[in-house]
Amino acid sequence: MTKQIEWITDMGQAMERARAENKAIFLDFFNPQ
Amino acid sequence: MDAVTYPQEDVARFINQNVVALRVGSGEQPMAADYNITWTPSLLIIDADGKEHQRTLGFVAAEDLIPAILKGIGKMHLNRSELLEALDRFEELQLHHAGSAEVPETIYLSGVARYKNTGDAQELKRAYELLRERYGENPWTKRAYPYRLL
Repeated sequence: MTKQIEWITDMGQAMERARAENKAIFLDFFNPQ
Repeated sequence: MDAVTYPQEDVARFINQNVVALRVGSGEQPMAADYNITWTPSLLIIDADGKEHQRTLGFVAAEDLIPAILKGIGKMHLNRSELLEALDRFEELQLHHAGSAEVPETIYLSGVARYKNTGDAQELKRAYELLRERYGENPWTKRAYPYRLL
């Protein structure tokens, strides 16, 4: 099975996880249409 | 990005292992306004406080995305004076993505990080000399040009 990116869609959750794991956030602003 | 870049297994693995992946529609407010988003895709590297450290506009191919993210992580560490962590990322990029267009900038930034870490201005001169030797009149060689006099 092809590995997929584990996207988060909530900024607060991403910040919390980035802080806990000492990681940067890769933020993709995409066109949803 | 969805059709070409993100489905690549090495891209997905790298992103899952090295960053927190956050995806937001370009019309989602107030985030889009806060980050002044005017076009998609806009790919940002931000830290856990939401501070932006790098922005890439437009489609990025799979072979270019990993080096771009590595550079962004390194810039985040450099901006936070986490110099050894920054150097680790820049060196990883130079070692594993030697043909990437991101390499000249990371040579420049490595010189900056080494100088900040040691106080030795010769690190800046070494960065200039390496850029000149490998890339000739690259824009980053030009930015390092004053350091030839150190």
